[in-house]
Amino acid sequence: MTKKTNGTGRAGKAAKVQIGRRTVLRGAAAVAGTALGTGVIRGFPAVHAADPVTLRIAGTGVNQFKQLADKAKEDLGFTIQYTSLTSDDVVKRAVTQPTSFDMLDSEYWMLKKIVPSGQLRGMDVTKIKNYDKIVPIFTKGELPDGTKVSRQGISPIKVSYLTDEKSKDFAGDPTQWMTLIPTVYNADTLGIRPDLINRPIGSWAELLNPEFKGKASILNIPSIGIMDAAMVCESTGEVSYGDKGNMTREEIDKTMAVLTEAKRAGQFRAFWKEFNESVNLMASGEVVIQSMWSPAVTKVRSMGVPCVYQPLKEGYRAWAGGLGIPAHLNGKTLDAAYEFINWYLSGWVGAFLNRQGYYTAVLETARDNMSADEWDFWMEGKPAKADILSPTGDKIESAGTVRDGGSFWDRMGSVTVWNTVMDEDRYMVRKWNEFIAA
Amino acid sequence: MQRGARPKSFYVLTAVFVLFVLFLYGPMSTVILLAFQGPDGGLTFPMHDVSLHWFRDIFQPQAIGDIWGSFSRSISLGLIVMALTVLIAFPAGLAFRRPFRGSGVIFYIVVASLIMPSIVVSLGIGSMFELLSLPRGWWSSALGAHLTWTLPFGLLIMFAVFNRFNPAYEEAARDLGASGWQTIRTVVLPIVAPSLVGVALFGFTLSYDEIARTSQSVGALNTLPLELQAMQTNVTTPVIYALGAYTTGLSLLVIAISLTLLTLLRLRQSRHGSDAGKGMV
Amino acid sequence: MKVVAGKLANGAAYLQVAPLALVFAIFFVLPIGLVVVVSFFDYQTYDILIPDFTFQNYIDVFTQSVTYQTYWITVRFCLTVWAITFVLGFTIAYYLTFHVRTLTMQIVLFLLCTIPFWTSIVIRMISWIPLLGRNGVVNSALINLGIVPEPLEWLLYSEFAVIIGYVHLYTLFMIVPIFNSMMRIDKSLLEAAEDAGASGWQTVWLVVLPLCKPGIAIGSIFVIAMVMGDFVTVNVLGGGQIASVGKAIATELSYLQFPPAAANAMVLLGVVVLLIMLLMRFADVRREL
Repeated sequence: MTKKTNGTGRAGKAAKVQIGRRTVLRGAAAVAGTALGTGVIRGFPAVHAADPVTLRIAGTGVNQFKQLADKAKEDLGFTIQYTSLTSDDVVKRAVTQPTSFDMLDSEYWMLKKIVPSGQLRGMDVTKIKNYDKIVPIFTKGELPDGTKVSRQGISPIKVSYLTDEKSKDFAGDPTQWMTLIPTVYNADTLGIRPDLINRPIGSWAELLNPEFKGKASILNIPSIGIMDAAMVCESTGEVSYGDKGNMTREEIDKTMAVLTEAKRAGQFRAFWKEFNESVNLMASGEVVIQSMWSPAVTKVRSMGVPCVYQPLKEGYRAWAGGLGIPAHLNGKTLDAAYEFINWYLSGWVGAFLNRQGYYTAVLETARDNMSADEWDFWMEGKPAKADILSPTGDKIESAGTVRDGGSFWDRMGSVTVWNTVMDEDRYMVRKWNEFIAA
Repeated sequence: MQRGARPKSFYVLTAVFVLFVLFLYGPMSTVILLAFQGPDGGLTFPMHDVSLHWFRDIFQPQAIGDIWGSFSRSISLGLIVMALTVLIAFPAGLAFRRPFRGSGVIFYIVVASLIMPSIVVSLGIGSMFELLSLPRGWWSSALGAHLTWTLPFGLLIMFAVFNRFNPAYEEAARDLGASGWQTIRTVVLPIVAPSLVGVALFGFTLSYDEIARTSQSVGALNTLPLELQAMQTNVTTPVIYALGAYTTGLSLLVIAISLTLLTLLRLRQSRHGSDAGKGMV
Repeated sequence: MKVVAGKLANGAAYLQVAPLALVFAIFFVLPIGLVVVVSFFDYQTYDILIPDFTFQNYIDVFTQSVTYQTYWITVRFCLTVWAITFVLGFTIAYYLTFHVRTLTMQIVLFLLCTIPFWTSIVIRMISWIPLLGRNGVVNSALINLGIVPEPLEWLLYSEFAVIIGYVHLYTLFMIVPIFNSMMRIDKSLLEAAEDAGASGWQTVWLVVLPLCKPGIAIGSIFVIAMVMGDFVTVNVLGGGQIASVGKAIATELSYLQFPPAAANAMVLLGVVVLLIMLLMRFADVRREL
């Protein structure tokens, strides 16, 4: 019963409209519990074993779109089975249960923890067709014009390559063996509610400005939350850092002291961990200033609530995610994984994800799949000529709007630090727990 | 306290109960209210238009998250866990009525399972299955994980049920020549049956709503709460509120219908002068 | 003769408890055995499990001031929530037992209390924002009624909110065992007390309360165990700014610091088991079967 509902939806938006009362009634019956009969059978793996190739992809819901899985089925004949996890669970799953997935969608900073466990296989770049076209941030650590990208924090280039296919060590320079193929990445900054702030915001320091007491938020992921704070401390000159993304104990202590003071003074309303929490906090007016993701700001705006993704003079805190292959994969499934990655980089997916406000690995092929206006709006930072639509066809920005922060190179060029895990993370986690208990 | 005029305390306590129920439904009220938003709505106030959009949208495939697939898994798992909880907790409760060697150890292991933070249990079970190369799934590792959560409740509630359970009934049955099994089936079971319904209800609800113990033990396919939680890592629409509204509305409807049927049935019985139904009460 | 009967009953008892024992042996004792082993392991930032036999993780737990801070906060929550759920749970169980006249109605009322929990906890947790938030239903109502001039900030993301959340989740766990205990009270006892001239309060205090001690003890075990180990409610309703033992463990686990998290969990287990053993001295739920 449920299967049928899914099946009808595969045809996409057009079919959506035709689904009428019958489906609603059938679905209602499912709620009543009659879904059991077919539902039970559907859950068992025996059925999936009959499929030719099924790729189980574990990761957060950031880019696990159904449309993507449907397109993969159409183009490649693979069944993509997503295991959606919270960001905490991804890294735990990766290290403790690698055989529960065939591909891992992980953030780059988690690699520092995952790779030493030996559960990830180096990907052979010679098998990746568009390898040469991957944005050089990941392959050379620089922008196309040759300027170096910030190496503070876990800049992807630091963890992009392994010394060998089955190695547990990162290679300093590019090798044949890549850890992750980038999926989505972005430069994060503060999101603000201009209607509730009523004055220009230009610096990270505003996050801890007592003016916003009880209305600010930072990330509830210790190594990232502390960096939001570090952006502030560096800006106000309270602390100077060697590398904000890899603090010394002394730097951690100083930053935590600033954070603790702010917490005691009631600066923070709540901390957010998952994408949607940041949307809820902002849209409901609980918070007026917080670090956010680009699509979260778009979502708040599409709800009719004013929200600006404010570029700041100190620059952005960036993050990147990518697809990796676990060490246990072999034979047909391994080939399928490479095939999937090649398809992933061939353009359709890139365009799809770019339209969410993320950035993707191979821009050239993505561009071919976007309209000129879309490309100009999302990537070049030019005013939209027509309304900008989401991948599902909903209007998300009106004609004339300019993307906050401008073009791709403006934004990625102003990254000052990358999401991270620190060498002193034992100490940092202890300090963070003390901070929460304070 | 027998039939007749109600004492004053009845009205006070009814008021307390009504307030408690209102409190329980407090969060549900916003869930239901916000489910009626327009297509641009979010999960919080301000409300954005009024429409039935999300009540329809929930039957379309969602961009992120497989609500119905995980829903059917959760319902199946919940029902299996419910049945097993009753089937395991009831005899175990019987066993504990007499002291036996090892009863203390088993009791404290069961209590420990209640205390141990669920993420730790979950990681333990997940890692064990990985080490032993056993297949993980909601029907294997997660089922076990759920039982470590529901059985402590089931067993302890059985303790409350058997608390000062009058052994005279059983002795009478035995004196009449009933075997041990017959005594349980014909004497004990009918008396505790309503409480077993309670244990079953607990078993289902605890399993259906479980997150932490399932998170690392479920394998590749999520249960509903896990899927909903993972959906929070992307844009989440009021479709999840519509799900909550449907669940609540349908459950209430089913109860109202059963109650009406039961009352009608009883009315007919009393009209026919039978008291067959009263034995239950 | 009596000895033989005792032995027989014993044999049956093992058979009856076997399925339970089996489930816990496989899905609890074995995996937790792993956790115990890991709690003695060493760890580094990029080398998460180093086989070893060190007490360092336990020493760390006991020597860090943060341990005592988190336990203090958690125990405070525990006591507050226990007191509220006990009073509320006892009152409602009393109502359901002695004032609701038919079994059908009792079941219906229980179902009514259960239905909110069939909407996933994920959804319910989000829905506290529109209920208690700055622009939420409660604040809007209070402002419209002229009770407060400005929204109350402490309704959400505060210790108050966490306690509300716990009471919401756990009162039912107090009601059910107390209700089951009360159902076993012979109604003639209450009448006898009344005839002997006891007031309503006296009957409750001197007859009903002592007779439901096991039910109260069981409900207390539920509430104490769940509050002590919780990290979801405290995290969501505390806005991530309130610590609990469970939350500290969760944070360590999210950085794959398994050995200290395992040691922390073991210490938590020890503390709560001690608490419950203490409780058993007041009412041994097993002895009064």
